[in-house]
Amino acid sequence: MLALKNKIGKGYVIASTYICIAITVLIFIILLSTSFDAFKQIGWDLFTLEWNPAKDQFGVLSMIYGTLTVTFIALLIAVPLGILTAIFTSEIISNSYRLYVKSAIELLAGIPSIIYGLIGIAFFSTWIATFFELASGRTLLTAGILLSIMILPTIITLSDDAIYNIPNRYREASKGLGLYHSETIKKVLLPIAKKDIAGAVLLALGRALGETMAVMLLIGSIDKIPSPIYNILSPGQTITSKLGREVGESAFGSLHFSALNAIGLLLLILVIILTIITQLYFKKERRII
Amino acid sequence: MKHFLLIVVAIILFSCAKSNKQTITVAGSTTVLPIVSVASERFMTQNPAIRIIVNEGGSGVGVNQVGSQQVEIGMISRDITQKEIEQYTQTKFISHSIGRDAVVPVVSSEIYNAGVTALTLDQIAKIYKGEINNWKELNGPDKDILVIDKEASRGTRHVFMEIVLGDKEAIAAGADLVLGANNEEQTAIIQSDAALGILSNAWLNDDVKGISIIMPDGSIVEPTLDNILNNKFPITRDLVLVTNGEPKGVTKQFIDYILSPEGQKIVVENGYVSIKK
Repeated sequence: MLALKNKIGKGYVIASTYICIAITVLIFIILLSTSFDAFKQIGWDLFTLEWNPAKDQFGVLSMIYGTLTVTFIALLIAVPLGILTAIFTSEIISNSYRLYVKSAIELLAGIPSIIYGLIGIAFFSTWIATFFELASGRTLLTAGILLSIMILPTIITLSDDAIYNIPNRYREASKGLGLYHSETIKKVLLPIAKKDIAGAVLLALGRALGETMAVMLLIGSIDKIPSPIYNILSPGQTITSKLGREVGESAFGSLHFSALNAIGLLLLILVIILTIITQLYFKKERRII
Repeated sequence: MKHFLLIVVAIILFSCAKSNKQTITVAGSTTVLPIVSVASERFMTQNPAIRIIVNEGGSGVGVNQVGSQQVEIGMISRDITQKEIEQYTQTKFISHSIGRDAVVPVVSSEIYNAGVTALTLDQIAKIYKGEINNWKELNGPDKDILVIDKEASRGTRHVFMEIVLGDKEAIAAGADLVLGANNEEQTAIIQSDAALGILSNAWLNDDVKGISIIMPDGSIVEPTLDNILNNKFPITRDLVLVTNGEPKGVTKQFIDYILSPEGQKIVVENGYVSIKK
């Protein structure tokens, strides 16, 4: 009986793993097959600026630019803020408060993105417009800042776990060598937790790249690269906001639909490349624990 | 625990049981939406055995979903394009006009109050092409124009661009923002103090002012219900429900209800023009 149970358990575990892998592969295959038409008929013209389905022009450069810019802004704000908060919650405040602070932060992760979008469009974008004296607060910067708030809890809570779970003997040894608390954090704990923190940032990056609703409402949805190119106070478009706005109105099987799938595939490839780079980079670092 | 599971399973099975209500799904234009959603509520109170689900998404979504036969009725506020007809050879689109409306160029109240209350079609075209960038050039305040465009397949945009730029799918090079539904556009215009946008006549209010059109002969036509009815206002359109083939059964019943005097009252209540006048 026990052996049978064991077998069932093992089968269940293996099946779950294969199902997960199969879903990923399936999504990839579906995207490849639906976007095939676009790659065949549009080819390298995909990497131009004009997007006009009525004239069969499908240039995606402005969307790739928007996606990268918004994600970069979000990470620029969220990474330092998140890691510093994680150091505070894991090393500085006492254990009993840590749980309260942490659950409050994790609550932030549970807020649906449409609510962020709603607050963003009703208040935040008007503040940005007044502050920078803009005609409209729907800009790349607005979307980036809002996105940074959305990915902050991911970075905080995972980095906090990473630092908190470092065995105490490292802290004691460091103290024994006469290091200050700040030095212990900087020289001992952060290097050990580096890989896990990078994992947290990667997960946050994935969310930032894929976030749709809030970004769609806030970014202005115009297929243009601002001039000059670093002017983040102008509206733009991300891959996800484009998909969110146009997928419903494109006819299934049309070139338009295929082109939208193609940019979805580009986004997926972007995420895969970033994941591989991070994995390779941190593979060299051996975990000491 | 076992009992609890049983109850859960029973509830799930029960809710899956086929409801004996007949369902009509409607999707499409946010311009037609207010009429159909009010009409569906009243229709359902009169006919409790029928359920109507109304979704928005824009005219393009309305045509697509009828074309792919996902919904019974599509709401559209423009004509079906040749491309769409060719796309769905399996579907025979039949249109039913339920009301009339105007597409009005709208400005933020600050601009309206500063004296820009009427423009020629040529001036509006120049703004959308990016040739006029500042309200100063139109005798308004010295502010950059925030030009708001709409998503490409939206009915309001098709009708507007056809008359203003001469092509319903023209690219507006001067646009600063691209938005979707009428309410999204309305919000953006209220939030700005120098915006120009495109809205259905029924969505105007104190903060979102429709401007009059100066005709080539010099006369000024305001976007009033009378001017829409007698076709004086240059940018008007029919509000249309589209079905796959002649409507049958409850779908026909619902469309007939909207065309009835009671249904046409709803059209007028929502700020549109009844076709039965």
